[in-house]
Amino acid sequence: MTPLDLGALLAHPANGGIRVVVEAADAFAGVTVAAREAMLPDRGTAGLAALTEPAPTAPWQQDALVRRVRDRGFQGLALSGAEVLGPGSRRLAARLGLTVLEVDDPMALARAGWELVQGRDALTLGYVRRVAQSIEYSASHLADLLRHLSASVGHGVALVDAEGVLLEAGGHLPEAVRAAIDVGLWQDAVSVAEGAAASVRVDSPSRAGLRLAMFGAGLSPAQLSALAVAAEVAMPAVAARILIDEVADVSDAAVASGLLREFLEARDARDPDVEQRMSERGWRTGGYHLAFRIAGRRRLETLELLRFVRRGLAALPVDSQAVTSGRGVTGWLSFAEPPPAPRLDEHVASLRALHDGARRSFDVATGIGSLDSGAGGLLASIDGAVDGARIAAARAATGWFVRVDALGIEQVLLSWAGSDTFVPAAESLLAPLASQGPELLETLTAYLDHESGVSATAAALGLHRNTVAMRIARAQELLGIDLTDVDARLALHLACRALR
Amino acid sequence: MRTLGPDRLPVLARGFSLLGSGGGGTTTLLEIMAARVLDGAVDLHDLDEVDPGTPCVAAGFAGSTYLLTERVPSADAFAPLLAAAERWTGVRAAAVCAMEGAGLNGLTPLLVGDRMLVDADLMGRALPGIDQLSLLVDAVPGAIVVADTGGGVMLVDSSRAGDAESLVRSSVIRAGGAGAVLVAGFTVGDLRAHGIPGTYTRALALGAADIGGDDLPEARVLGSGRVSAVDAVPDDAFVRSVELVGDDGALLRLVARSEFLAVTRDGETIAASPEILVAIDSVSGEVLQVDAVTLARHVRVVALDAPPWWLASAERLARVIPAAYGLRGLEVGR
Repeated sequence: MTPLDLGALLAHPANGGIRVVVEAADAFAGVTVAAREAMLPDRGTAGLAALTEPAPTAPWQQDALVRRVRDRGFQGLALSGAEVLGPGSRRLAARLGLTVLEVDDPMALARAGWELVQGRDALTLGYVRRVAQSIEYSASHLADLLRHLSASVGHGVALVDAEGVLLEAGGHLPEAVRAAIDVGLWQDAVSVAEGAAASVRVDSPSRAGLRLAMFGAGLSPAQLSALAVAAEVAMPAVAARILIDEVADVSDAAVASGLLREFLEARDARDPDVEQRMSERGWRTGGYHLAFRIAGRRRLETLELLRFVRRGLAALPVDSQAVTSGRGVTGWLSFAEPPPAPRLDEHVASLRALHDGARRSFDVATGIGSLDSGAGGLLASIDGAVDGARIAAARAATGWFVRVDALGIEQVLLSWAGSDTFVPAAESLLAPLASQGPELLETLTAYLDHESGVSATAAALGLHRNTVAMRIARAQELLGIDLTDVDARLALHLACRALR
Repeated sequence: MRTLGPDRLPVLARGFSLLGSGGGGTTTLLEIMAARVLDGAVDLHDLDEVDPGTPCVAAGFAGSTYLLTERVPSADAFAPLLAAAERWTGVRAAAVCAMEGAGLNGLTPLLVGDRMLVDADLMGRALPGIDQLSLLVDAVPGAIVVADTGGGVMLVDSSRAGDAESLVRSSVIRAGGAGAVLVAGFTVGDLRAHGIPGTYTRALALGAADIGGDDLPEARVLGSGRVSAVDAVPDDAFVRSVELVGDDGALLRLVARSEFLAVTRDGETIAASPEILVAIDSVSGEVLQVDAVTLARHVRVVALDAPPWWLASAERLARVIPAAYGLRGLEVGR
């Protein structure tokens, strides 16, 4: 007969609520139930005695109980009220080698002991039945399903892959246990010092290498093999749930993306239908908004990125939305009242952290819009974020992250000026100067930068002011542009910057 | 007949302390009082030497012995009780014996001067109840109990021991928690049949023996160890359980009310009332009262033979075993 391990008994989900009061022996031959000590068999043969009568109150009666149970050959005693045992009685039990357990329900303990020693099929069947019971209740998503499974099986349940734990419920799967799981096997049972787990591969077409693990501390081989069967039974439900969640995600993301596009395209022309649908999705246009855009610098799985962003946003203590849009994710934080500047900076820092996190798996650039209010403000903030993301895509120095507020409008303008459409125009505009040598362009740029001050330009370039005046006059002549005309000046200044 | 000189008082007192089984009160006060009252030696008469028809009384204090040390009784505390008893019985009691041959009450008869001291008592050890007096247990006809009511006296003439216990207890409470009690209406002949003879002789022998040297007569050493806990018992506020870590590692437990009632070793009862259970301080050799066995004290636990009178019949025994005090699971050998 397999000995009954104390650890396995403690790990059993229906052990009658045992707690260790005195730990001496840690394995028993079996469990014997009796009303009181006098009804126990005389030859206890190293078993665990479970008494249904509560512990006596007088200290000498407790001593006597401990002694007599041991004298009958038992190595363990479980009874309700064992916690009242005084230090003397506990010392006596320890010295005699009798493990004492407090138990709420001795009959459940007896049943658990029987399952672990003799009734392995019953143990397995019990787990399988409880898995089936949990499937009966509809789960709203994958994490919910794992919670149901964990609650009914009575052990922790986790979804793991080769890198780590993706989801877990009903406890924490120690890293050492997860690392010990052999991902190559269809079914695997591991037991290390930190705990034990039974796992089974999840057949999911969309995600490879997933495993469903049921885990706990002190699980015996019998419990592990029973749990492995339970995991096998639960696995199809988990795989189906993953698929359902993914389909739902994709369709929901597509709808949200379409709605955002309509909202952005309508601009200031308010469409009541769009507004209705937005409010149905919980997108508030009232209040203050801080938009962000996380755009892929190259092709990427936007849905994956959206999942990642949503997970990150969920951790922020603020109302937030995120929607796939083009080659990236657009989103915004909403506030009822404008947050004070330090709070706003904190939110931006959180978004920065989200961006940094995303960059570990995706090649993205992020722009943050400015804080603005109302539906129009949301539009403006999103526009800002989109511009910011465009700038950030070329800014390795800032970690591919740009906050438009901090940048200033001129930077946006400059960035736009650096675009593919403007550079050829600038080149053709300044072509007459380029043909005369680089010094004219250089001097003109410096002159415009220094507010058309000849002396300042001369000082900056280390030239005589007459030289500067002469070169400016020549450039003006070549270009045929009146530098006192504000519009012409601006265009010329931008063109100089674009070519520099 | 033996002669008991004042120089024998300390030995006698120590013997009665041992017979106290942890109760009976400390003897110091009575030693001092007796030394003042005594005028030279006292004759101690064996029961066989005295005419069986001699009227006799038994004297003792009842209630809180602790209280007596704070409110010292007067030397002639028994005079009004004797007067009432002799008026009721119509004869002068020529002999006196102890009501409780243990603790301070072993010396109490010495305060009742001018009577013949006979070597006997009504308990043979310390016991808490008036209903445990041997004359009342055997329901000897004519025996009466007289008690101090604090300024007056009360006399109980009843064949029911429980009545005497209940009435004397309330009388003693009226008297302020402790008071003199006198048993009368019996003869020396009654003592032979229904008393415990030779208590003084036994006390003298015990008191003279060397406690530290393991040569106490009729003694059995139960163990020694350090007090690790003194626990209250949930069901009975008057019971305490003293836990000792034995020198050999065993768990010794002394179960006590006003006296030690049982000793268990590793959950097994190895001695119980009416055996006389004594705790002796290992360092000073002092015989300890129940409340003096305190945490971290190192004590030796010794059992002295029970007075044979209590073992003679099942009815007598039932009055003094732990179960008589409502304590279960303290039967020896279980």
